[in-house]
Amino acid sequence: MENLSALSIEAARTLIAELMGPDRVPEKMKVITDTSDFFRIEYNDVVVLGETPYWIKGYEKEGRFGLDDEPKYWVRRAIDLTNGATKVIKLVFHEEFETRVGNSVIKCFRSPKKEARILDLVAKQINFMHGHWVLDLAGNNVRILEFIHGRRYDDIVAEYGTGHHDYFHNYFPVVLDQYIVLVKAIKFLHDNGEKHGDIRRDHIIYDRELNTNRWIDFDYNYMHIESMFGFDLHGLGNILIFLAGRGDILVPDLYNNQREVFEKLWGEDLNISYKNRVANLRKVYPYIPASLNLILLHFSLGANIFYDATDQMLDDLAKAREDVLKLTGR
Amino acid sequence: MGEQTFTDLERRDTERHLLVAVDESKNSKRAVMYVADFFGSFKDIFITLLSIIPDPSEDYFATDEEKTKWLDEKKQVLEESLAGYKEILLGAGFKENQVMILLSVRQCTSIGDAIVEEQDKQRCCIVVVGRRGISHNEEFIFGSTSSKVLHHAKNCAVMVVE
Repeated sequence: MENLSALSIEAARTLIAELMGPDRVPEKMKVITDTSDFFRIEYNDVVVLGETPYWIKGYEKEGRFGLDDEPKYWVRRAIDLTNGATKVIKLVFHEEFETRVGNSVIKCFRSPKKEARILDLVAKQINFMHGHWVLDLAGNNVRILEFIHGRRYDDIVAEYGTGHHDYFHNYFPVVLDQYIVLVKAIKFLHDNGEKHGDIRRDHIIYDRELNTNRWIDFDYNYMHIESMFGFDLHGLGNILIFLAGRGDILVPDLYNNQREVFEKLWGEDLNISYKNRVANLRKVYPYIPASLNLILLHFSLGANIFYDATDQMLDDLAKAREDVLKLTGR
Repeated sequence: MGEQTFTDLERRDTERHLLVAVDESKNSKRAVMYVADFFGSFKDIFITLLSIIPDPSEDYFATDEEKTKWLDEKKQVLEESLAGYKEILLGAGFKENQVMILLSVRQCTSIGDAIVEEQDKQRCCIVVVGRRGISHNEEFIFGSTSSKVLHHAKNCAVMVVE
């Protein structure tokens, strides 16, 4: 095979012309083999990774810290110039920061090595994003991800039903099954000694081609204290509260719109991490089975026992599933 | 009770052997001071001061050198703490042959479980741990070593020093 690391600009232009048509060939472009400075990589450049040239397009965005659509300059959409497939290329970005909960400080890292390792681990697991990794000429671990055609799962769920009663009786049984599949996927990671590291509801994409949910973005790691998987379990709990409530049930909304429900709430009913959200949803929607609500209460301020492992949560979810099916007759 | 060898496991079952699990924190020092104060006058008690460093994942460091440096620094801090704790015990009346120091770097997902594993191996009749006094939210997310030891230890007593 031709040594593509020495690909000339003219050769790259030819590849683009052959694959995409001559009118798509850019006038200005670079060929890059060292991705260390990802800000140098611009729209229309060709990045050569291993033996494959990728034609760089826009960068990905992510809503975070209350900001919508924050650009992730190290994550680029690209076209594989050997076959025209769309890929997502994650370049090396060594982010390190500390987060504080109470008096405990936890060190968080963005780790390309971790994500690469998990990509290898989940290559045959459908409920994760797939891809492979390559070291560029400077030794940077670049991850090349298959593009997932689909939307955020939480956005899809929030549109189900005409109201919560309709949603819970007609849609939630399926949603709960889908959620259990997602928890089992995380159990697979944990059983293999890996954390997801950043379990949030916008990190689940419903793949409309495979008709299943897929976890994305597992490059975060943190120096855990006693509980290696506590942070992941915390994320899973918050997602279940969201799914069972068909959105976050916010205390100010109850105060303004359902005062009689607000009056029944105690501090212990609130989410342990987000004190403006209700975890004890049975007080808002009394038809929620007690067994399901009990799982939600593990993530409330009033909880005195916590889940240590996904197995414990899955046991409780099996019981809750039975009760949800009985209630809805599905 | 004769000289403690710390290797004769069968004899251990008949001895009063405490495992004091510590780190460099103030609550660990409090636990050691409690043990010194409470047990210092007993001549037939043996103590293992245990510190565990979970072998950190390669993900936390950009290079192997950084990991080695982090581990060396962590070991040094704990060695100094352990030496200080031993001094506290000796000052309370324990003899040199009654106190052993054990510093272990190991792969573990839970320090609490590693302490329980060591208790089982050393056949200690009491495990002593300090308590960080963390909030509800912290315990939920990060877990609590003392709670883990309290719930998982078998065939021994557990003392949690607040």
